[in-house]
Amino acid sequence: MSFMKVMNRILIGLFAVFIGGISILHPLTKDIYFSESENRVLAQMPKFTWKQLASGNFTKEFESYVSDQFIKKGFWTGTKSVVEKAVGKRENNGVYFGKDGYLFERFEKPGEQLNSNVDYMNRFSGKIKGANTFLMLVPTSIEMYPEKLPRFAYTESEKYWMDVIQQLLNPSTTWLNAYNPLWEAKDEPIYFRTDHHWTTHGAFIAYQNAANAMGFQAFMKEDFTIETVSKNFFGTYDAKANDFTVKADKIEMYVPKFDVSYRVEFNDDTQVMDSLYAHDFLQKRDQYSFFLNGNHGKVVINSSVKNGRKLLVVKDSYAHALVPFLANHYEEIHMIDLRYYHEKLDNYIEKETISDVLFLYNIATFSEDPNLIWLNQ
Amino acid sequence: MVFSSLTFLFFFLPLALLLYYSCPKRMKNIVLLAVSLFFYAWGEPIYIFLMIFSAGIDYVHGLIIHKNRMSRPSLANIALLSSMVVNIAILSFFKYADFLVENVNLLFGTAIMPLDLPLPIGISFYTFQTMSYSIDIYRGKVEPQKNPLTLALYVTLFPQLIAGPIVRYETIAKELSNRRFQLDQFAEGVRFFIVGLGKKVLIANSIGGLWFTIQGQELSDLSMLTVWLGIIAFSFQIYFDFSGYSDMAIGLGKMFGFNFPVNFNYPYISKSVTEFWRRWHITLGSWFRDYVYFPLGGSRNGTWRTIRNLLIVWGITGLWHGASWNFVLWGLYFGFLIGIEKLGLLKLLEKMHPFFQHAYLLVIILFGWVLFVFDDLHKGVAYIKVMVGATTNKLYDMQALYFLYTHGVLLVIAVIASTPLLKHLKGKIKRAFPASFQRKAVELLSIGCLIILLVVSTAYLVNGSYNPFLYFRF
Repeated sequence: MSFMKVMNRILIGLFAVFIGGISILHPLTKDIYFSESENRVLAQMPKFTWKQLASGNFTKEFESYVSDQFIKKGFWTGTKSVVEKAVGKRENNGVYFGKDGYLFERFEKPGEQLNSNVDYMNRFSGKIKGANTFLMLVPTSIEMYPEKLPRFAYTESEKYWMDVIQQLLNPSTTWLNAYNPLWEAKDEPIYFRTDHHWTTHGAFIAYQNAANAMGFQAFMKEDFTIETVSKNFFGTYDAKANDFTVKADKIEMYVPKFDVSYRVEFNDDTQVMDSLYAHDFLQKRDQYSFFLNGNHGKVVINSSVKNGRKLLVVKDSYAHALVPFLANHYEEIHMIDLRYYHEKLDNYIEKETISDVLFLYNIATFSEDPNLIWLNQ
Repeated sequence: MVFSSLTFLFFFLPLALLLYYSCPKRMKNIVLLAVSLFFYAWGEPIYIFLMIFSAGIDYVHGLIIHKNRMSRPSLANIALLSSMVVNIAILSFFKYADFLVENVNLLFGTAIMPLDLPLPIGISFYTFQTMSYSIDIYRGKVEPQKNPLTLALYVTLFPQLIAGPIVRYETIAKELSNRRFQLDQFAEGVRFFIVGLGKKVLIANSIGGLWFTIQGQELSDLSMLTVWLGIIAFSFQIYFDFSGYSDMAIGLGKMFGFNFPVNFNYPYISKSVTEFWRRWHITLGSWFRDYVYFPLGGSRNGTWRTIRNLLIVWGITGLWHGASWNFVLWGLYFGFLIGIEKLGLLKLLEKMHPFFQHAYLLVIILFGWVLFVFDDLHKGVAYIKVMVGATTNKLYDMQALYFLYTHGVLLVIAVIASTPLLKHLKGKIKRAFPASFQRKAVELLSIGCLIILLVVSTAYLVNGSYNPFLYFRF
């Protein structure tokens, strides 16, 4: 047999083993229902009906089933990410691979939504009487660490747009500056490297700075015992970036040394907790939901502080790390997430005799969240 | 189903090969027909009947034309005409009806409702194949196929079904009725297929991602460098996507014992538009040459007739790529340039340094792709304005540098892979190391590279983010 014949046999053999092997292994491998690493339910084998087939749905669903349940997904994901990095790729799904294990999501130039959101807020604060309104916009990590970005990486300046918002803001609303104190503390771990949130420490710095304007005396770091509750947190940036070189983040909890207790109600008493933290989530992918049990339309915190002060927080998930500190200064805190809560808030403020209203968002959510429209109905 | 999908690679293909090679010889055509119908029905469960209908029509027409060619030419003429009308009518109904409605509405202010029918995938490819079948019988170039199932196999043969090459009946007539398994041919098929898969999944999809990002932004925010990078990225995307598909089709054909014609021959190394179209989508160009341009008289009846013929052929060539004016314009653009080259520009170019010839061609191609990629002519023109610096956009910016920095390696790979450099290199190495063990080492190395290519392509498919099918309008 000639040499080329041998080579051709080898090539055909390897090709057949590769495609044939995977096609045999696939049905032999047990399907997975939920992927922890992707944090989503995976597609299952679709049910066959002639109707589904004729509409083309069956074949579409079958294709997602094959790609979702593909064997050794981790290996393939890893291979792709290694090759992509080798040819120069420095981002995935809009998340940059930064230095020192940081991942950063690009801040995109805001569109019309930003102006509308400021307008909704201004009209709302003009409507409500007898309560003080505050706005705290928090920068995201990309703004704080330009030196850790890949070369030439571009991103819109958050500072610029925060200044624009401050200019447009109704003067009756107090602007709580989170930018400067965070910038000064940037050498400390104020943001997660692998997640789009700030850390407990970052939130603590913003809390201390807001104290004066909001009219209370902030506690000091010495008033808390700091416990590390997780050392294996891989957040949303990690899920988007698929960068295998990043290391896990840790999550800290500030436990008051002073005497205080809380009762937390979710969505009109459907669920009650006596803690601000949900430890169950530390065993899951979505560990940030450890803070205040994740996203809910409405959360009411009753604390053992008896000063008659009632705070309404209209917010995104950045609030979850900060509100535990505020809970030591207010008798009641009502947290509203406009993505899920769509009732009239001005009536709510009157009914619950709210004394202070705090809008708390990170700048990225604030500039694109379409739900602030619910403030004016 | 598309070739660059996990379902095709790990379910359809192994199963199809297994069925095909385990059945007795007389069953092979039936099995391949069944497998091809399944392949098409996977994505187009309803339109499969249209394709079967089309094959049936051509079978009957072919027989009538052949029977009467010599004895009753007028009947043969009518049969040929009828075959053309049916084929073109089917194609027009699905592909161009809404385009017509749109333009009539625009012109006369009417409000006729468009049909909004989804285009049957591959219809432009298989109608052109069946038309060549009828015409070639009429011309006496081929015998009609007596077995309707064999003709149906020709029309539905899955490797070339959805994105070409346009295989004429005469090319594979012998193989349709008689083909043997040949190890070397199968291995060549595997080589073609893996290289094509790599071109599509690794190069076209990745560089296409860059174009996708750039075209998704406001034009006013982009720098001049960015828009050039954008259209260069698109040029590579469409070349590697299209030629990758053709390579996969040729490879699959070989695995089942067919030899399809080459469809792309390094078009970007051309030195003139005329040469480019001899290297780009070769089977389409030669189809229009043999079945439209030559019958019209080609370039034998004086300058004006030639120009008229060029404009007709290139207008239709453009329209073949999609039912939209920008495609017509794109076709005419090339017809015009080929006309000018015929009138003397070609002779002038040949006297110049090759560098200028290449630069001339590449610039023309890049502007051509702008016409091609924007349905909306206003957008195309606005894009060209930024390219030539007729706007206040910045010369370059941080983003452009970032794109260069993160896609530079990929662009270099794409440039190298657009030229026959690697092919020449392999030949050179073989000649430089004549000793048998050295040749063996080179051969083993190339098998290793192919397997790595296959594994990495699979990894890209498993985590596929951007994997478009570009020919849904063809």
